[in-house]
Amino acid sequence: MSDAIIEFKQIYKSFKKGRTSIPVLQDINLAVKKLEYLCLVGESGCGKTTSGKILVGLLKPSSGQIFFEGQDVSTLRGSEYTRYRRAVQIIHQDPYASLNPTHTIYDILSFPLFRHKLVKNRAQARERAGQLLETVGLTPVRDVIDKYPHQLSGGQRQRVSIARALTTNPKVIVADESVSMVDVSIRISILNMMMNMRESLGVTMIFITHDLALAKYFAWQGRIAVMYLGRIVEIGPTPDITHFPQHPYTKSLLSAIPEPDPDRTRTKDQIRLRSEDIPRLTELPPGCSFHPRCPWFVPGLCDKQLPQLAPVADSKGPVQVACLPMTQGKPLIPYES
Amino acid sequence: MIQSLSGPVDTRPWWQKLVQNYTLRTFVQSLFTVWAVITFVFFLIRLMPGNPVEIYVNYLMNTENLTYQDAYNRAASQFKFDPDASVVQQYFVYLGQLLRGDMGESITSTGTKVSSQILRYLPWTVFCVGSALLISFLLGMLLGMLAAYFRNTWVDNVISFLASIVSAVPDYIWAILILIIFGVQLKWFNVGDMRGTYDPATPPGFNLPFILSALQHAILPITTYVLGSIGRWVLAMRGSTTSTLGEDYVNIARARGLKQNRIMTAYVGRNAALPLFTLLAISIGFVLGGSVIVEEAFVYKGLGSFLFWSISQRDYTSMQGVLLIITIAVVFSNMLADLLYSRLDPRVRVTGDK
Amino acid sequence: MSEVVLSVQDVSIVYRVSRGQVKASQHISFDLHKGESLALIGESGSGKTTVSLSFIDMLPSAAKITGGKVLYTRDGKTENIFEFSEARMRDFRWHDCAMVFQGAQNAFNPVLKIKEQFLDTARAHGWRDKGKVIKRTLELLRLVRLDPERTLESFPHELSGGMKQRTLLALGVLLDPQVVILDEPTTALDILTQRAIIEVLKEMQSRLGFSIIFISHDLALAAEMADRVATMYAGEMVELGSTQHIFYEPLHPYSLGLLQSVPRLSQDKDELSSIKGNPPDLIDPPSGCKFHPRCPFAQELCNQEEPVFKEHEPGHFAACHFTENVIEARANLWKKD
Repeated sequence: MSDAIIEFKQIYKSFKKGRTSIPVLQDINLAVKKLEYLCLVGESGCGKTTSGKILVGLLKPSSGQIFFEGQDVSTLRGSEYTRYRRAVQIIHQDPYASLNPTHTIYDILSFPLFRHKLVKNRAQARERAGQLLETVGLTPVRDVIDKYPHQLSGGQRQRVSIARALTTNPKVIVADESVSMVDVSIRISILNMMMNMRESLGVTMIFITHDLALAKYFAWQGRIAVMYLGRIVEIGPTPDITHFPQHPYTKSLLSAIPEPDPDRTRTKDQIRLRSEDIPRLTELPPGCSFHPRCPWFVPGLCDKQLPQLAPVADSKGPVQVACLPMTQGKPLIPYES
Repeated sequence: MIQSLSGPVDTRPWWQKLVQNYTLRTFVQSLFTVWAVITFVFFLIRLMPGNPVEIYVNYLMNTENLTYQDAYNRAASQFKFDPDASVVQQYFVYLGQLLRGDMGESITSTGTKVSSQILRYLPWTVFCVGSALLISFLLGMLLGMLAAYFRNTWVDNVISFLASIVSAVPDYIWAILILIIFGVQLKWFNVGDMRGTYDPATPPGFNLPFILSALQHAILPITTYVLGSIGRWVLAMRGSTTSTLGEDYVNIARARGLKQNRIMTAYVGRNAALPLFTLLAISIGFVLGGSVIVEEAFVYKGLGSFLFWSISQRDYTSMQGVLLIITIAVVFSNMLADLLYSRLDPRVRVTGDK
Repeated sequence: MSEVVLSVQDVSIVYRVSRGQVKASQHISFDLHKGESLALIGESGSGKTTVSLSFIDMLPSAAKITGGKVLYTRDGKTENIFEFSEARMRDFRWHDCAMVFQGAQNAFNPVLKIKEQFLDTARAHGWRDKGKVIKRTLELLRLVRLDPERTLESFPHELSGGMKQRTLLALGVLLDPQVVILDEPTTALDILTQRAIIEVLKEMQSRLGFSIIFISHDLALAAEMADRVATMYAGEMVELGSTQHIFYEPLHPYSLGLLQSVPRLSQDKDELSSIKGNPPDLIDPPSGCKFHPRCPFAQELCNQEEPVFKEHEPGHFAACHFTENVIEARANLWKKD
């Protein structure tokens, strides 16, 4: 068995809508090493949030296996299963919606503490809640603990959600767009705090975002997995992905992102896609699902064969791409229709 | 770089299209519902204490001092009803009749078709409850919209307060209040003389005296129905309009410099009224049911009062007939509501439509 | 500089709430020139949307304009917007100044076809020639790279998010306005869609020559799109200058703080830091400079005296007592390039 704390093996997930089935995730294989920084990046509908929910057990995959510390999660029963569910926690995007407005911060934090029998009485619960608030930087604790969510700022609320995720002493935390609703000026402090939790609490953080610049900052020492329409199209160490993107989709994403640097952003090379239509998940194109938009489309190959994640031909690097021309060592030639 | 708007191509074979056709499926479901209700009603009414013969026997024994045996013989000879026949057997006979479009004969009024009985009473209820429904729907929408526009002002406070009170009082209480106030206290209507649906002195027909007389007889029940239901419409429309007013597209319509009238009608009104049309279509079904108690209170000879009479006589066939009509109306107006909504709101328009 | 279209002079707006008055916009002054694009940058609650809403008299009923004027010039004639009659304001909206709000997802009436909504807009401003309106609509839809005929006949729900946003932009310029206000025009859109919108906007502006005020918290977007940038904090404008000024030579600690808190894709590991603390309470704002409790350079003077918003070099305004400290600190900002 690998040293992965959590591992996806051939995970598929589809949702039923009426008589059609929507394939949201297809053939996801992913091993997250203990204490690794991993980012799932992609646009809406790419399956990153669904992956996060499956990871923490909020959704069951349609097929495939999830291993937690080497054990197949679907075989876990009773207290074993509870242990897994406690060990993986998720922080949602919207701190306004995920905190019950009628509960004080103490209530919000003490509820899971009591439910999981992590504390015996009120005094203990208060002490533990205080510790957690300190961990997430909400000090002095006495100013916060008896307040209601609406009395806190957006950033403070998100810190409370993080504290709540920490109540069960998790080993893995999935942060789903956790700072996208927080003001720009305080995003970094929350991100830094989450990164520190890895050191101080030994938590493996999985960060889900659509913002590649944030992903780069968060996972500079880790890996980024780029997802498109339910599949991972490229995965590798962060510097490789952001500086030398391989997959045409990753390349287009990086070229499209504006940067807070006027001279650079205005002179950046723009990759023009052949189409701006994102195919519907119910009508995925055959072969590589990016081929109708790809500027380097190879007819007869990309629209026929499904690309698998593999290293770029003749490279020894750790980057894997799901792009047939690249993995077969063919040069990328602009497609003229 | 031009974007296409192609929708999915329908490649289903014809039989699958037929099976999956939304309208057809809804229709078949509705038929099934009607059958289930008919069956339920059939057995339920036979579980009521007493049967038509016994009721008539009791009546004869009390009024004409006959012995039980004499009374029984007379009753049995008068009615086409055998109280000793097996219920299951009766049920299949009844279903067979229905399939031929025949609702049978009334048990107590021998020789009268149930269908002709219903045709005699039905139009009055449709007229009375139908116009009440229309009035309270239109007036309710108007008041609800007004309240929403002027929300948190005195206009809204007055309308909402009254609507809540009015909708909290059931219609039979209104019936009694109206009788007492307009009939007994103010004496605006001579309720004692106003039996039935029109003055027998005016022959039915398309002439002014008859129409006036029909209106005069209907006005109190209509007022009762309106009072009993308008609060619901006001509150529903107020809620719906309030949430529509908060929609981005309404704000943007203002920013686009559209005239207030256009915004009120095409942008707010149309969207706010959408959910109410569904409610309206469902309510149409209940029109036929009328209100037994209100018709009784005003001695208005509609379907409701006929139902009341047939229940008291244990006239099984008449009861079944009325309840069948009501069931069909409710079930199919629900279906109508479903289909109507998909017509009115392009977002739920069923695919394969274009 | 070219002629001034909109001259905002000392505009103050408050919201009346039960606890008192929220000072949402205080003493805002700036000029908008013909054909330029000015970015209002700031976080939630900075007053950037409030001040823009006042131009088209769309403030919520709790808001009150407590001072100032906005002079609008068209064809050599200058008027004060705040003194407009109701009828004049109705015509001013969209015909002179179109405001495209955040969240185009719900910008169109769901029960009317796109065509009807374009015609509605034209009719409201006295454009009676239906054929001409349709012709212009088709042109504009082509300009925003949509299939014109099909879009025209669609209901809003038949368009994707990006398509709706572009349709709204086309609608925005239908009446050939002089000023287009864009409130977070690309927030909530996918990266590639966002890129398409940016390109479309640039092309539309160069073809039609309108002026843009765009409101955003996204510094990268401002870097890409704006000619001039104004930084807003706690209801006040704290800095205004060319895009080069603001991004490369900021004079206000808040602008500097924002720049230090956004990750940049093209750099290696960023040295990022959040601005400490939280946005102030606008009912009871801090004394002196409103930024002083969060400012790394604050001294006693900042607590006592409100800095004047003054021109430090041609076209570059800032409200700070100690710009020299900011100048010193900003030297580190771009060193890693």
